[in-house]
Amino acid sequence: MRRACRMPLAMPVLFIALALMASRAAAEDLIFTLSSDRIRITSDFRGVDLVAFGAIERDAETVSRGAGYDVVVVMRGPPETLVTRRKARFAGIWINRSSRTFPNVPSFYLASASRPLADISTPAILKRYQIGPENLAFQALGGPDEDGAFRDGLIRLKADAGLFDVADSTVSFPGTSVFKANLSIPANVPVGDYVVTAYLFRDSAMLARQSLTIRVSKEGFERLTFDLAHRYGYLYGLLCVVLALFTGWLAGIIFRRD
Amino acid sequence: MQIYLPIAELPVNMFLIFGMGGAVGFLSGLFGVGGGFLLTPLLIFSGIPPAVAVASTTAQVVASSSSAALTYWRRRLIDTKLAAVLVVAGVIGSSIGVAIFSLLRRLGQLDLLIAVGYVTFLGFVGSLMLAESIRAMAHIRRGRPLPLRRPGRHNWVHGLPFKMRFRRSKLYVSVIPILGIGIGIGMLGALLGIGGGFILVPALIYLLRVPTSIVIGTSLIQMIGTMAVATILQSGTNHTVDGVLALILMVGGVIGAQFGARVGAQIRGEQLRALLGLLVLAVAIRFLVNLVLPPAEIFSLATLSGDAR
Repeated sequence: MRRACRMPLAMPVLFIALALMASRAAAEDLIFTLSSDRIRITSDFRGVDLVAFGAIERDAETVSRGAGYDVVVVMRGPPETLVTRRKARFAGIWINRSSRTFPNVPSFYLASASRPLADISTPAILKRYQIGPENLAFQALGGPDEDGAFRDGLIRLKADAGLFDVADSTVSFPGTSVFKANLSIPANVPVGDYVVTAYLFRDSAMLARQSLTIRVSKEGFERLTFDLAHRYGYLYGLLCVVLALFTGWLAGIIFRRD
Repeated sequence: MQIYLPIAELPVNMFLIFGMGGAVGFLSGLFGVGGGFLLTPLLIFSGIPPAVAVASTTAQVVASSSSAALTYWRRRLIDTKLAAVLVVAGVIGSSIGVAIFSLLRRLGQLDLLIAVGYVTFLGFVGSLMLAESIRAMAHIRRGRPLPLRRPGRHNWVHGLPFKMRFRRSKLYVSVIPILGIGIGIGMLGALLGIGGGFILVPALIYLLRVPTSIVIGTSLIQMIGTMAVATILQSGTNHTVDGVLALILMVGGVIGAQFGARVGAQIRGEQLRALLGLLVLAVAIRFLVNLVLPPAEIFSLATLSGDAR
């Protein structure tokens, strides 16, 4: 599933060229496109590298500020409600004792940045635009969060699973006003509609941003199986049983010894 | 070779899973058990979510049991009436088991139940097996014959009401213990992903005095029926049966079982039982260690319906 990278560069380049010609009201603007508008999960899916190409455009009145731009491209997965549980020792064994529910947690969060986030902007600005996993706005339901222990646990577990990530130095500038961001999508990426947002920074200030959507979906056999299992669970279970009986019967015939 | 599992939603090494199925199949052929009690923990310890591991092994047990049952069917070594009563009881048991499974999944205590279930259950059965086989080996070493258990001898079970006649097994016995055993095994099967053959066979022999020649074929039919219903119920309510995972395990399992059965025929019965007892105890201890030692990560994530994240 490396189809996304094999896409010809001609289209994005043309797209950017057209975008550069259009004039905008803002002093600086940003426009980008993705190497693919869909990520397909098939049986040999092992993750995919997605590329975002973009251009920084400046109107005639704005003085040239030379180099010094920073770009952060953020990919956010569809929101989900998660329960974080904490184990504690009880009667000698470790069991889940307390939990907090977090609605509206992005199921996936990947930030690709030209430099470490702390060098790009101030904590207040990063928090305002929810850039970086620790700056995501979700909060606990059902009881106080004990200084964010449950929230921190959630973020740590998501990061361990490769579902929350910040990749510094994955945005490069082939030209002074053209950027390219590499988004490395892991194999366990959740399915759904994603929003990819590019942010343009200079001297810690956020100058412009633009968002695109991309869909991650299971395809072919994977999709068929998943849909069948979730929509017609009993039928799917019956098929599994038939398959099991057939496998057992076939083995009994093949390896017959008497 | 990596393959993406559609229900577990993660890529796994196909040959690793196939190898696990084969190795467990070999042991199940060797000891004449279903192997679910080994396969489910192996899958859990290799990173498959416990709910998916339990439900997919359930389907695998159907395949391995039906492969073995075919031989007994050909030799007419099955008490169909007894098997039918056991299956009915097993289905009731597995329905209760699946309901408890769903409830605990939502409460976030399923992993605990699986671990505690394995520790207590396998610990108990493993110790019994080991003690029994050591006793048998000691008897043989001293040159004394083993005390025989006669099928005709009665125990407290035979005093219970609601008697039913089973011609094939030459039994006239109350249905209460049969239903009790069937329901118990069905519940365990659904909750822990085990066929329960290593409990069912001794229970039928020692409690009900079912003739040993008929007991294995009959218990295999009970396992097929109960686990088939458990698979359908798990899939319908929890959506946790991974068909791709189950198929790889099935193919590995049935092939491994053939080789295991050949090796098993050359080892003495009491030595086999001692080995099986040790293996069962080892799995129980592995789960106990996980429960008692402070975990590296005390937090865990799940969705509201209980899917691990």
